[in-house]
Amino acid sequence: MTYINTVDAALRAVADPTRRHILVLVRARELAAGEIAAHFPSMSRPAVSQHLKVLAEAGLVEVRREGTHRRYRARPEGLVGIRAFLDEMWRDRLDLLREAAETEARDVAAGRRPVIRPRRRMQ
Amino acid sequence: MSGPAVGSGGGTPGGDPASEGDGVLERSLRIAAPPETVWQYWVDPGRMTQWWGVSAELEARPGGTCRVAMAQGPVMEGEFVEVVPHERLVFTFGWTTPPPGGTPVPPASTRVEVTLVPDGDGTLLTLRHHGLPADQVGEHTEGWSHFLGVLAGTAAG
Repeated sequence: MTYINTVDAALRAVADPTRRHILVLVRARELAAGEIAAHFPSMSRPAVSQHLKVLAEAGLVEVRREGTHRRYRARPEGLVGIRAFLDEMWRDRLDLLREAAETEARDVAAGRRPVIRPRRRMQ
Repeated sequence: MSGPAVGSGGGTPGGDPASEGDGVLERSLRIAAPPETVWQYWVDPGRMTQWWGVSAELEARPGGTCRVAMAQGPVMEGEFVEVVPHERLVFTFGWTTPPPGGTPVPPASTRVEVTLVPDGDGTLLTLRHHGLPADQVGEHTEGWSHFLGVLAGTAAG
């Protein structure tokens, strides 16, 4: 389940509007931390750095160190991998949903199963 | 890998994806069951756990809990946003695996939109999963052209 943790981290990362904005900024070009921070003048540098850290840990940006500076760029594999994972998840789940619903419809049509109210299931 | 679809639903098992290059994750499939039946598989925990999760808590009303626990531990946690019985369901989607001994952080929220359209005796189901990272930076979005313009106007690094 390591990859679900990665996907979870990425979904949390993009839940924040500042981090979404950062991702767009570094989508096609590499930017230094200071250049990124300049887009958020009302935010402290440590706050911007924290957002960059979250994005890096979620695998959504690459960090390149140049001396004492850090430069950031969106990591395409991070974006593509997450989409592929969820696409496959939904493909598999919807296939099972279809089988279950179609079995029920056939059973009802054949009189093998009555049309019933939904069962309650308390969790 | 799933086997061939059973029944007269036809089409690709698990549905067909939308065309590539579109930021939103989308899948459509035809189900040989009426919308009223298919709907129950989204809002009735006893039916949902036949295709997703080992236990579920579903309060199908705006603001209601939408929670699906997976066998391996992760819990999908969200909230229903729109509920139009037999037609349309929108819920937020994020995962939370309770960290060992740690303070739970609210899960991320992306958005899943499910529409059911009658199709003869069956149902055409379309699922769209909005807000994924690729969606956020998709080149098709309006915001992208704006940012391209902004980048072009700024001095090179």
